[in-house]
Amino acid sequence: MDEPTPAERQQWLEEFEAAARRPLEQRMKYAFIKTYKPVLDDAPFRAFDTMADYRAWCEANLPEWLGYRR
Amino acid sequence: MAAFEYRQAEEIRDVFARHGIRYLFIGKSGAILLGFPDTTQDADLFADKSAKNCSALVGALRELGFELSEEQASEILRGKDFVQLKNGPFDLDLIFAPDGIDRFDDAWARRVEVQNFPVCHPDDIIASKVAANRTKDRESLPRLRAFRDYWKSRQ
Repeated sequence: MDEPTPAERQQWLEEFEAAARRPLEQRMKYAFIKTYKPVLDDAPFRAFDTMADYRAWCEANLPEWLGYRR
Repeated sequence: MAAFEYRQAEEIRDVFARHGIRYLFIGKSGAILLGFPDTTQDADLFADKSAKNCSALVGALRELGFELSEEQASEILRGKDFVQLKNGPFDLDLIFAPDGIDRFDDAWARRVEVQNFPVCHPDDIIASKVAANRTKDRESLPRLRAFRDYWKSRQ
């Protein structure tokens, strides 16, 4: 991603300050969302011996648009 | 499955405290606890990989309502690096060896407490995302770094 412009940085700062004025419970209500993620959400439990194994599984199995690939 | 809620974070905090579990909120869920205004889907927990901690973790997860079979519990006890749980009241990622952080004890020493929620220091959250280097990490890093600088200016 390109470096943010000064205007973007200012916008972010305003968002950080607005968030800081909200209680944690409200911040979390806005922050956590749930949408179906194909493949990733299709098993109730997965365990990987190493993070490298997990990353390799993501590369091989998840759609690129989910953003889990490198 | 509904979105993760504040009361569920409280349940994690309270049940894990009762079981004496050493863990930290990490990833974007950790950053959100610190005040980062963004969205995410899951709670990510960095847990100490010691046998004692993993054993306590299995009991705590069952108390929270996760339906762990004996085989699944044994996978946690055997010390996997990454466990993804979608068999409980909310989705949870357990990370025992996050990229970019060498030792749990180091992250624990740097932790930030937010209303008794133990959270990774923003430098550690950023280090793990830099090391993971997925597309979604690269996209979030500039804003996360700006937040880290803002957060530090307020300490």
